[in-house]
Amino acid sequence: MSIAANTVNSDGSFLWKRPHFISNPLLRYGLLVFSVVYLMYAFGTLEINFSRVMRGIPRAMQIFSGAIPPDFTSRGSLIVTGFIESIQITILSTTVGVLLSIPFGFMAARNITILPVYWVGRAIIIVARSLHPVVLGVLFVKAVGFGAFAGILTLIIYTLGFVGKLIAEAVEEIKYGQIEAIRATGAGYFTILIYAVFPQIMPRLIGLSMYQLDINLRASTVIGLVGAGGIGNTLNSAFGRYDYGTASAILLIMIGIILIAETVSGKLRRFTR
Amino acid sequence: MSSLTSGPLKDLGKETYHWQRYTFKQRMGRYSAFVVVALLLYWTLSTVDVFWPWVWSAPEEINDMLYRMMPPNPRAIPEIIPVLIETINIATIGTLFAVIISLPIAYFGARNVSPNKITLAIARVIIVASRSINTLIWALLFVAILGPGPMAGVVAIAFRSIGFMGKLIGESIEEMDWGPVEALQASGSGQGHIVTYAITPQVMPTFWAVAILRWDINIRESTVLGMVGAGGIGMLFQVAIDLFRWNTVSMVLVSIILVVLFGEVVTGMVRRKLI
Amino acid sequence: MLEIKDLVKSYGDGQPVLKGLNFSTGDKKLTAVIGSSGAGKSTMLRCINRLVTADSGEILLDGVDMLKLRGKELQYARRKIGMIFQAYNLVDRLTVMENVLSGRLGYVPFLKGALRKFPQEDIDRAYQLLKRVGLSQYVNKRSDELSGGERQRVGVARALMQNPQILLADEPTASLDPKTSERIMELIARLTDELHLPVLINLHNVAQAKHYAARIVGLRDGVMVFDGKPDELTDEHLELIYTGKDELNEQLHPEGESEE
Repeated sequence: MSIAANTVNSDGSFLWKRPHFISNPLLRYGLLVFSVVYLMYAFGTLEINFSRVMRGIPRAMQIFSGAIPPDFTSRGSLIVTGFIESIQITILSTTVGVLLSIPFGFMAARNITILPVYWVGRAIIIVARSLHPVVLGVLFVKAVGFGAFAGILTLIIYTLGFVGKLIAEAVEEIKYGQIEAIRATGAGYFTILIYAVFPQIMPRLIGLSMYQLDINLRASTVIGLVGAGGIGNTLNSAFGRYDYGTASAILLIMIGIILIAETVSGKLRRFTR
Repeated sequence: MSSLTSGPLKDLGKETYHWQRYTFKQRMGRYSAFVVVALLLYWTLSTVDVFWPWVWSAPEEINDMLYRMMPPNPRAIPEIIPVLIETINIATIGTLFAVIISLPIAYFGARNVSPNKITLAIARVIIVASRSINTLIWALLFVAILGPGPMAGVVAIAFRSIGFMGKLIGESIEEMDWGPVEALQASGSGQGHIVTYAITPQVMPTFWAVAILRWDINIRESTVLGMVGAGGIGMLFQVAIDLFRWNTVSMVLVSIILVVLFGEVVTGMVRRKLI
Repeated sequence: MLEIKDLVKSYGDGQPVLKGLNFSTGDKKLTAVIGSSGAGKSTMLRCINRLVTADSGEILLDGVDMLKLRGKELQYARRKIGMIFQAYNLVDRLTVMENVLSGRLGYVPFLKGALRKFPQEDIDRAYQLLKRVGLSQYVNKRSDELSGGERQRVGVARALMQNPQILLADEPTASLDPKTSERIMELIARLTDELHLPVLINLHNVAQAKHYAARIVGLRDGVMVFDGKPDELTDEHLELIYTGKDELNEQLHPEGESEE
């Protein structure tokens, strides 16, 4: 913060100015100009077309009138199977994903591995984290076919990226003295992991798993849009049939289930702390 | 000199001790948790609609796909760069809109400052609906309404982000120190002054942190918008997949990873500057 | 028999912390190592059981050079060396019993250790040791629920659980209040005396060193500047060890005498 902006005038009055957030004026105005130019350019590329928006409005009305009231019954059994499949995908992918994240997370923790292993672990986690589940979903659908299995594989990788990174961070934050103490007893590497590292990250790990259950349930609702099983499939075909009543019913149930899952996952996390 | 061997520990008594790692109650708790998880997994595995022969051949199929992807096709780069920039633009403008809209929503959605129960309820409903529906589903909806193109993507990103930011900023308003508000009330300030002088400074750090975080997330999200026609690199990805141009697919994947990493580096830098 | 020859250790590119240290002991008694912070006391101890790897020199334990050991051989050598830490370094979320039993981890196979299947004689000994340090009522308590003094008692029990041939103690009382600190020192001194166990103990408190040690070693900037019996340690020696360091006054005039 600049102090130079405040000066005492010759008549003794104090000239006060609010200190600027970025004190270097060149940088301040440079950033401002850059932001303005960038935004003007970016808006220009958006192809905002008001006539199209206008034409869209009746279409929107049509969609909403189709969506209200939501139609829970005519495709009721499809909706139920869709949600059950989403939940199954969530459970399996979270279990396998978390179990896989442990070795990869350990590999990617700088304080307990050698450099080459660390780089491999980091690279795997970065790739898994960078790819959106829908991208992964498309790839797995191509590789192993439509259905829940592609969805499970997708969310396993998604979990690996997310939980793996947080486990690595948790391991990097542990108290090293406890490792030294166990090492000093003559214990081997894996015994040290079990005795000195695991107990320290266990609460975080359980909390993360609960949280990931919640995240995976959310993600499992969209990967179906690309054919990877679950309620997303049902939703996509409802949209495809212009069956907006069923679509809105699915969206409402989705909101409800996600809220319940969030509450339950929060409760479980508090319980395991 | 004598060697360092000390005798076995002595003079410690001859008592034996029966030790178990957990008490009876703890053990029962662990067993029942274990049984619940096992049953859940059993139910899932026995009912899930998976064609098992495909599972066993999966490693081969995935390997085969990876093999076909190698090496990434550099000739796709001229196609990729414009849509990659479009991806970043969608994320940025979408986040910008969300920032502007989420501020009043956060204010009305915070229990301690919301004017009345009705504003609170409305804000809460908006937050919940926005948060619970995935960006891609919002995109599907807005492509249907606005037609395909980046604008649908921007609106989808904004609609999903409003709830996220509104919730987190609202929570920080609820947790803030009430003292400064009272001090300003005591000095006779109006609600406008209270917002600018007592609430805004306290919420500012969270606001920036949340906005930056959401921008980072939105870069990831906007990489898939194109798959439903809402602009960005997703369209190119979908086309390459549909045409089995595997080397282009892998080039697109590499560029997605790079742009996401770029987002992380930028947010990291801004975060360090601001916080 | 422990023998250190020409031990050199530096961290990174910095000045060496140990500059050719020589030291040997075969005595089954307590040796105190004193010196200002940064003199290399802690590094010396950690070099002995290879928590820190020295750059050059030799550390002979019963004729075996610790610096040449790798893998399993190093683990076997480490179990003969007990260590007590300044910050206790108990595994917080494990129980007292598990922490004491972890002293046997160099002896049990991986799976047995992971599943806590220790031989009954180990469990008996752990209990006897806990009784001896006065904590037998806390067997199943989690170690982060204990006070500092209690934690260090567990630390002592864990180190003795290894059935070590030498005990290293790195400022074992520095994190404790004066009264508890005395009691821990007494416990270490009495137990190791009974067991005829040689002890190498880093102390920042000279008065304590004089009281409990049979031999005192003074380090300054990585070199040994004093080696003798406690009553041979004069104020001149202390000045040699501590001159120019913040601790000088505190050590020459302990217990509030230096108050202005």
